[in-house]
Order: sequence, then C-alpha cells, then structure tokens
Amino acid sequence: MAEQTKAGKKNDRAERNRIYAHALPAIPSSSTKPWLGIPLWRTPSSLERPRVVGVFDSATRSVWIIHSEHANLLWRRGFFGKGSLSRSEPTWLARQTGSRTAEEITAKRREERKTFKTERARAIVAAQEEAEAAFAAGKPLPAPFAPEAVRQAIRSTPEPGDASTPPPVLAAEPPEIEPVEDLEYLQLTLQEAFFLAWSLDSLRVLDAVTHNPLSLPALWRASHAAHYMPPAPQLDLRFDNPFLVNYVAYHHYRSLGWVVKSGIKFCADLLLYKRGPVFAHAEFAVIVCPVYEDDTDRATSPFQLSNVDPFSWSWLSTVGRVNSQVQKTLILTYVTIPSSRRVNLAALDSPGCLAEFSVREVVLRRWVPARMRD
Amino acid sequence: MEAHPAYKPIAGYMKRYPMLAGSMFQVHNDLMLAQQWEGLEAVELAAAGRVVFRGRRTKTDDKVQYVVPCSLAESLSLAWFGAVFRELDGVQEVHLGITSEDSSVVYYKLSRGIVKPPL
Repeated sequence: MAEQTKAGKKNDRAERNRIYAHALPAIPSSSTKPWLGIPLWRTPSSLERPRVVGVFDSATRSVWIIHSEHANLLWRRGFFGKGSLSRSEPTWLARQTGSRTAEEITAKRREERKTFKTERARAIVAAQEEAEAAFAAGKPLPAPFAPEAVRQAIRSTPEPGDASTPPPVLAAEPPEIEPVEDLEYLQLTLQEAFFLAWSLDSLRVLDAVTHNPLSLPALWRASHAAHYMPPAPQLDLRFDNPFLVNYVAYHHYRSLGWVVKSGIKFCADLLLYKRGPVFAHAEFAVIVCPVYEDDTDRATSPFQLSNVDPFSWSWLSTVGRVNSQVQKTLILTYVTIPSSRRVNLAALDSPGCLAEFSVREVVLRRWVPARMRD
Repeated sequence: MEAHPAYKPIAGYMKRYPMLAGSMFQVHNDLMLAQQWEGLEAVELAAAGRVVFRGRRTKTDDKVQYVVPCSLAESLSLAWFGAVFRELDGVQEVHLGITSEDSSVVYYKLSRGIVKPPL
C-alpha cells in the first residue's frame, strides 16, 4: 500500500471518530427545552439503552452475541467483546466474501516488512563485499551504507504479492454465489457481560437451554457457578471465585473510563486502552494479583487462582521485558479478597460485596541508572 | 454451543472431557473456520487427558501438524509434555493452543528436544 497522504489520514481519522462516536452502549437522547418558545439548550432527558441479547455458555465461560447488529453495536460503543473467529472486531464473513478487513491489511503490512528485511539484508551483504574488495585492492572505501536508499529501492519495485492476488471478478465463477452463513458470534467474557447487564443495563442474557432471560441475581450466580468444575449452581458462593476477583478489577477500570480487553497476548491479564483498540495501542498491561486477607480461605479453596504467591524474579523480569518490548507499562493490581470469617457470606448474593474488596496498583518500570539520568 | 457447526464433530469428546470442553471447542472452532485447516480431525490422547487436533495448514501443505488445546487456568508440567510426546510417537513438534475466555487462542510451538534457531 502506498504511503497515505495527509488528507487520506485525516479522512480515516474522521471516519473512525464517526463510527466510534459513542463510548458506551447507552446514549443520551436529548430534547431541547424551550423557554418562551425559544429552544435554549439540550438537556439529556433519558438514556437510550439498546436491548442487546446474548446467550450464556457455561463451557467457554462466556456470553455469545449471535445477531450481527447487536455484535456491531457492542463493539462500536465501547469495544465490548471479541469476534470468535477474528482478531478483534467480528470480520469473518467479510473475509470469506473477499472484502477488505483489518486482518488483511495487517497481513499485507507484514509481507511488505518481510520483503524489506530480506532486501536490506541483501544490500548489507553486498555493501560488505564491496568494502572488502576495495580494501583488498587498496582502493579507497566506498560511501557508507545508506539504509534510506534501500527503502527507496523497495518502494519503487513492484510488490510481488500483486501478481498473485486474484482479480475481483473471475470469468469462470458462476454468476450466483451461495450466501455464506455467518458462523461467527461476538464472545463476551462473563465480566464484560455482567458489567453490561448490571452497570449499563444494556444486555439481556438468555439461559442456554431454556432461552429464558436470566435475571441479574441469576446471572450473578451463573457466572460464579461456571467456575466450578463441573458447574454447580447449588454450591455456596465464595469470595475467591475467579469470576469475582477478575470482575473487581474489570469493574474498577471500566468505571474509571478505560477500555479493558484481554491481555493474553502480552503475558498479562488485562490491557487498558484510553479510547479503544482502533485508536492507539494499549498503554498499560495489568496483572491481577489476588491477596487473601485470611489464609484459611486459601487452604479451603476449590479454585486455583494464579499470581497469589509472590513472584520469582525471573518471572517478573520476563513479563516486564515482554511489555517493555511493546512499549507498555506494567501494572500490578492487588485485589484483596475479604475474609469469610469477617464478612457474612450472605453478602455474596449481590454485587454489593464489591465494597468489601480493595484494589491497589503498583506500577513497574525498568530503570537503568546508566541511561536514565532524568 | 451444541448447535454450532464446530461442536458436532467433537460432540462425543466434549461429553467425555467436560472440564476441557470450552478449550477444545474454541480451538476446534478456530482451526476449522478461522484458520481453515485441511483434513482436521480429533485424536484422543489418554496421556494428555484430552483430545488433540491434527490437520494440515493449507491444501498444498504436506506436513501434518498437531494442536493440543489447553486453558489459561491450567498449569501443565514438563512431565505432562513428556507423556504427550511419548504417546505421539514420531511427532517432532506440537502447537499448544491456549484459550482465553474472550475467545482468543494463542498458539505456542513446542518441540521434542533442543531446536537450533533458524539462520
């Protein structure tokens, strides 16, 4: 792809701001309040809440949004969920029918970068040989290697990929193409689903078997139960259920305005975006470290929460290195799990128990005294 | 989930290994529809306590690859991997398909023994 012009980039930015204008699924529907017949100012009279429907899936511990309009709405207003067959936004159907998607742009960019790297390596080797030959012959050395010249050379050569991409219309293809069934759904984690249903009142979750809508208490219980293996809704809930511990962190950052996504690709639990993945890369990678207020709770726990024990230095350095390589700041988020002896277990019947948890952050940055003088 | 086309080919295995049903489904879904592997089939491995998937990456590819599904919550030991490689006799490398609850699948290549880095 040729370099984008300034006007092209401005258009892209304007288009993105238009598509992702709303930060949350609920948008204020305002009305002008006239005074003496003159419309003065807009007052948000109510919130327009979309009624998105999803299905609870216990095995994958997620809620599936099957309808593509609902999926697009949740993605465009707050970047909730992830396409089950795509990198982020559900684009599987578009990829099957040949439309241009983000995955294809990335693939093309990687192909270009690979070509550039091989050409550069070749140019370096050629320059070395030339220098050696000049040295052996006693002649003055040629001008130093100029990487910019290589870059220009790459840009001017035709891309090898162009010849192999098929033309948009093939003469041999039958005129009617069978419509491909969209097998992709938007997958929400249980934390995202509960946040949408409870804090934003924008999601209705259906039971997988009966397809009846789950009430908020039922969704709360089902989300906890899904972490018992096998799922056991009749068991007593616990404060150290992985759903609850992760929900505390998720709710904390979402309510502060961050867009929170999974951090599995960067050895972290969560990634925090200021506005959203389409605008800029995530600046922060969060690792959730649960802390038991009472150790006896840990001894009797049926769950295996990760990152409860103190880290080894090797592990911490590994994660720190991975994230500094991609220019992300590492945040360790300590979530304190309340003691079941101090807090009544009845509090677990509602998200009111969130008040019993505490969240503390520690930012980790690598400091090199020789280099960081300021 | 039962109604999804990626579920039916592995329905029997899902019932036999309920603890790993989520990971197995997500990896099978990804390989079948997103990566679109050729000749995708499930192979039951007693040593691994789950079903692993075998297939070829593209139509023209000859090499049969193996993917072992697992979840981020699991903790797997080297002895476990040793047992998997012993049962998969003749296979030099497998891919570990690590699933997350948001449907991300991250693949890591594991080889039997030391591998020299490519030049």
